[in-house]
Amino acid sequence: MREKRKGPISRAAGLAENVAATVRRMQREREPRVLVYDPSGYARLVQLEARGQAEAMEIAEEMVELVSRAEAQ
Amino acid sequence: MPETLSPERTAARLCELSADARAAVLLDAAGSLAGSSDSDRARARELGDLARRLFEEVDRATRDWNVEPPEQVEVQVPGGAVFASRTPRWTLAVVARRAALPSLMLWDLRAVLGELEGGPPIRRATAAEEGAPGPATEEVAAGELPVPELGADGPQGEAAAGR
Repeated sequence: MREKRKGPISRAAGLAENVAATVRRMQREREPRVLVYDPSGYARLVQLEARGQAEAMEIAEEMVELVSRAEAQ
Repeated sequence: MPETLSPERTAARLCELSADARAAVLLDAAGSLAGSSDSDRARARELGDLARRLFEEVDRATRDWNVEPPEQVEVQVPGGAVFASRTPRWTLAVVARRAALPSLMLWDLRAVLGELEGGPPIRRATAAEEGAPGPATEEVAAGELPVPELGADGPQGEAAAGR
């Protein structure tokens, strides 16, 4: 069965939905988090309450700060 | 003959390859600094120490998981992101821009470590007008393919097809 043709308003709404979904996905990807990858590339999220998670976040923040300070010099 | 990548050059190589890499360090199996993109030795050592501790914490966090030890780590923090990848011999860590695409950064880390461990050097794509070293033939193009062509005639293909 042929797909029903969409009008200009419907197409524009679809486009806006796609853009919004992309922005949401990008924001989600940049949320503070710790992810680990096994050798096959499978990603696992280290939960907030997990042992070592806060320390890993702290260390990463220190690394970013160190580099930011060096760049500012 | 392509130049072999040395441990001292590895971190700088990663920063050359990836526009989103701000600074990188390479550690050896003992956790000692083996190379850095930063010429400031004290800062490089500090960054290397933090990278070593990052993997220690990640190992602590995942110790009870019934999975293989993580090979790569991604930490997103408000001012940027940290990515790290390790092999039995080396650990390469990078501080990246906030906008860095995780999949690309992790790929670059793995590719540079592969190059350090004797894999083929990563080549930059060249524009057609820059010219290839030889004539642009189908044979040359086929030789540059990263994976064998599917369905190509050969002993394996015939065996798979039950011929």
